Amino acid sequence: MAEGVVYDLGYRPHEGERLGRAGALRALYRDGLRRVLGLRRRARAKALPWGLLAIAVIPAIFFIGITVFTKEIGVEDVDFFSHAQYFDLTGTIALIFIAAAAGELLVPDRVHGVLQVYASRPLTTGDYLLGRAAALAVVVFSFMYAPHLVLFFGRAWTSNDGFGSYVAGNAGALWQTAAACLVYFAALAPPAFLFAAYSRRPTLGAGAFIGVMALSTPVATALVEVGVDPAGLLALQQHPTVVKDWILGVRSGHLVPQQAGFDPWVSLAVIVVIALLTGVLVMRRYRGSA
Amino acid sequence: MSESIVAARGLGFSYGDIVALRDVDLDVPAGCIGLVGANGAGKTTLLKLLLGILRPGTGLVWTLGRSIPVEALAVRSRVGYMPESACLPPDQTAADFVGYAAELAGLPTRAARQRASDILGLVGLHEERFRHMGGFSTGMRQRAKLAQAIVHDPDLVLLDEPTAGLDPEGREEMLGLIGRLESFGINSIVSSHVLTDIERTCRWVVMLDGGRVLRSGPLTEISATDEVAVEVLDDPAPLAAALAAAGAGVEVKGNLIVVRGGSGDPFDMVRDALAETGAALRRLGPRRTTLEDVFLQGAGDG
Repeated sequence: MAEGVVYDLGYRPHEGERLGRAGALRALYRDGLRRVLGLRRRARAKALPWGLLAIAVIPAIFFIGITVFTKEIGVEDVDFFSHAQYFDLTGTIALIFIAAAAGELLVPDRVHGVLQVYASRPLTTGDYLLGRAAALAVVVFSFMYAPHLVLFFGRAWTSNDGFGSYVAGNAGALWQTAAACLVYFAALAPPAFLFAAYSRRPTLGAGAFIGVMALSTPVATALVEVGVDPAGLLALQQHPTVVKDWILGVRSGHLVPQQAGFDPWVSLAVIVVIALLTGVLVMRRYRGSA
Repeated sequence: MSESIVAARGLGFSYGDIVALRDVDLDVPAGCIGLVGANGAGKTTLLKLLLGILRPGTGLVWTLGRSIPVEALAVRSRVGYMPESACLPPDQTAADFVGYAAELAGLPTRAARQRASDILGLVGLHEERFRHMGGFSTGMRQRAKLAQAIVHDPDLVLLDEPTAGLDPEGREEMLGLIGRLESFGINSIVSSHVLTDIERTCRWVVMLDGGRVLRSGPLTEISATDEVAVEVLDDPAPLAAALAAAGAGVEVKGNLIVVRGGSGDPFDMVRDALAETGAALRRLGPRRTTLEDVFLQGAGDG
């Protein structure tokens, strides 16, 4: 065979397997993960998600490190954040993260016409939105839950009762914190998707969503204080906190829905209704987009 | 419907009060098919109906022998679509996006990446495959759009105005690529309002006007006439007079005479007139019209 000869293989048909809709769904989900985390994108696309992930997880590692250190030097009874308190940090981060990620997941596809490509593939509108939501859910759940695992097993490691005894005695915290993470996702992601579905730019949708969520609490507080108790349901950002406290068995009466006299299950119902309603609206928006 | 790659019966679609397609009957064979018509004729609507992106308002439609929209998901694994408008994310490389497009059509990840590389080479983007597409020229974007449409080795690809926005050189290259698709085993339906593009690449033509099918058939049949073109070396007047005297319809354009047979075969009439006048013949053959002539005539009749 002569050296230096380039052989033009021409067009080669694909004779391997075709995975159909299931393969398309997996590809969509993986692409969603890459988008949420800014992978295979320019450096600035990575800055926000990885920065927020670091802020969420590093304090837990730091607290456990301090606990180990204080135990080493003989200082006992050092206890930092509880699981419930840690949600005050991760809940806020989740709000910002979900707002930014929802825009990144939905807006570019629509603005740049990529939905036409999805529409020509073996995917339904529901597949597209579910694939995007699943990717966001996995990332949000992971970064919200990871610090609780660090806290839980860190405490078990430093426990005076021994690792096994601590885990056996406090195992309930594992599913409770997992359930609370899901509640935060269910409360925040659907409305964030709704804002992203109607926004021309990811940052505008994210800003509007965060603004509405942040303003909902003072507006609801003001209305409840003048005697309009049903307005307690408008405190959108506080519903996941109410339900989280309910799941973790924390008694807290300072939240607006509670001040307005609503039981925690009402907050859960509000979260479910808003999720369903916004889901339907997003679906309707996308059915006409291709 | 097994012989047709695309078929329709009484197909209609409206956007609210605006009728985009009405009562369309089609049977389109394999090969390179031209879909021509003015802007707003219903070409893009028809392509979206063939993919199942739109649901028919009336009638039935089949793509690759499968009923749409019932079997649309199965069909889409074997069909590619190159939209007329932008469809490329500017912050992704061509290799990433075309590979992803292949995965979305159901190809396994490794095969998708390999094919993305092969197809980007085929459309002339091998050197640019790791560049973000936001920096692509119009010609490169059109090539990338074609690449995502054929990367999964479809049986049929629907190309919506593939030469839109291209300069003459880019247009030549794109038409060359489209012309090669059939040799790859990929049937194509090329929508365009540029009739010369269709004449150069397609063997079968569907003409749409105002949402209706004007003509559908092989290009050779559509462009054929019952007229004969005779070109002579010297003065055409004696030959034209002889033909007129024999009862033929005659139209003289310079040295060219267009002959319409009256009662007899126009070729026989030309033969006899040439023998009678001794005119020096340069060229003789059936006169073909351009698609533009056919379209304008059909639109006028409609």
